[in-house]
Amino acid sequence: MSFRQYEDLRRTHLPVVKSGGKVCGASIRRPLARLFILAITAIGLSKPATAQNGTFTVSAAPGGIALAAGGGGTLSGQFGTMNALGLGTPGAGVTVIPLTNGALYLTHYQINISGLPNPHLGAVTAFVNSNFTHPAALIMQSCPSSSTCNASGNFSAISLNAGAPTTVIPAPGISNQTVTVGLAIFVPDNNGAASFTGVDTARITLTATDTTNNKNFATAEIRLDTPVGETVQTAVRLTLATATGGLTITPGADFSMNFGNVNGLGFGPGAGLTTVAAAGGVVYSTPYVLQPSFSAFRSTTATIKTFVSTTFAHPTVLILRDAAASAGPYNNIGTTAGTATQITAAAADRSSITRFLGLFVSNTNGATAFRGSDSATLTFTMTVP
Amino acid sequence: MKKYFTIFALGMMALSTAAFAGTTATNSNTVSPTLQISATVQSAVQLTLSTGTAAVTHCAVTPTGGTPDYTMNFGTVDALGINAGNCNKFAPVTPGTTNAIYWSDYNLNPVFTSQTTTNNTITAQVTTDFAAPNNIFIVRDSANSATVPAAATDFTAVSTATPDTIVTNAASGSTQTRFIGVAVTPANGVGVTGAKSATVTFTLTVQ
Repeated sequence: MSFRQYEDLRRTHLPVVKSGGKVCGASIRRPLARLFILAITAIGLSKPATAQNGTFTVSAAPGGIALAAGGGGTLSGQFGTMNALGLGTPGAGVTVIPLTNGALYLTHYQINISGLPNPHLGAVTAFVNSNFTHPAALIMQSCPSSSTCNASGNFSAISLNAGAPTTVIPAPGISNQTVTVGLAIFVPDNNGAASFTGVDTARITLTATDTTNNKNFATAEIRLDTPVGETVQTAVRLTLATATGGLTITPGADFSMNFGNVNGLGFGPGAGLTTVAAAGGVVYSTPYVLQPSFSAFRSTTATIKTFVSTTFAHPTVLILRDAAASAGPYNNIGTTAGTATQITAAAADRSSITRFLGLFVSNTNGATAFRGSDSATLTFTMTVP
Repeated sequence: MKKYFTIFALGMMALSTAAFAGTTATNSNTVSPTLQISATVQSAVQLTLSTGTAAVTHCAVTPTGGTPDYTMNFGTVDALGINAGNCNKFAPVTPGTTNAIYWSDYNLNPVFTSQTTTNNTITAQVTTDFAAPNNIFIVRDSANSATVPAAATDFTAVSTATPDTIVTNAASGSTQTRFIGVAVTPANGVGVTGAKSATVTFTLTVQ
């Protein structure tokens, strides 16, 4: 069936659609009914492209994004909301793979080649005929039928050049059958002047070639613009990690650290701890690592502050202190958001910042002395201006 | 309708801010993870010795880093007070009858933390005495004070049976000066000469 034949058949069958128990005429004016038709088209129909000797059909794959047959021989869909850190739940039919320099949002779709005379084979290529208007923020990628298309390494950028397209079904091609291929959008870390948040769209042209006679027999276009397109959001992440030679930081809600047994004389510091002399007691010190990540901001640096949001129950015996170096000086960390201690005003994206957390233990005796377990909470706040 | 839907969707995305955990957020410029810090405070006591500074001369208190913790050497001594020893001496009042005392000052440095009381004592006891025939024994200043002894009679033998209290209720972190020495008796007989050593155990108790 050629594309024109398919279009004729579709026009024949579409005019009468039963919806909600009512029969809608061919001249549908109700917007809801129009949407229903659009959905039916996306789910039930695939788009056969213009054919000379064979038929080339592009359709949504199970578990992939919805691709609706649109006007002018196209298929339309979208990846939805994305960010360079791969945070959150991706759009329906989209899988996100966080990478060290961005995030890859991938989906699958199907290509069916039929009607080729035996032993002819068909190959398919793709190029971006209308790229995103913010190419530093969104990069179209493709995975060929020869790969599983489940890992970032299976994908590569789609050519922007019609004369040198990207392989989708590699030569010598396939006989009449359906294959699943991958389509992805790489959202790189993108801060600074080229940063972008908002909606963008792109279009890809697929071309099927009969590799036996080397003739292109069909084309199709995927438009990533429906109903909205690709929405890039800002994303921020701040994690804490164990530093080499430091106390273990355990992920939880959100992180925890246990200094173990401490005393006012600094005897027997546990693994990962060192002691530093201090007036009125001793400071148990440990290095730890701050890992800031952020994307889609005009600024390329962030500010990180911390304050004691929950003080120890014995705040004169145990005091949290901060230092830039192991030997100090150790300064008390602020106990309110307004008096938060600034760790850095120049945190770079995906950097690792080693800092030193000190626990001052008083050597007080008598009525105000304390022995036993206690805990406090530090709140770290990263802000990207 | 499609136009309206598009506008609605854009509006919803512009207004939404998603935070997925304390460590991450989208459509936002700030994130605030927390770190819970735990510790168990224990009480602690420390008693160190160091070379004195009160007397005219001082026998060095030398930390060994092992066992015993410290050593002090009075040098060559005799019952007539002829040898100078390594620090100070009182010659016998009646040579051949009373003892010669070779002595030194030393410092005690008690430190204690997280104690519910500041009441404390430091005791001394000879836990390993000089070998027989015991013609030499450990003595301390009888006054248990920082006052420099003036005569041999200002010294008392350190008990080998029960601890002698030599400091009471010292402030944590303070330096307590005391005096220790060896008394050499005029005894004669087998084994009264040669190198000899004894061990004194100091105990700090806060209660």
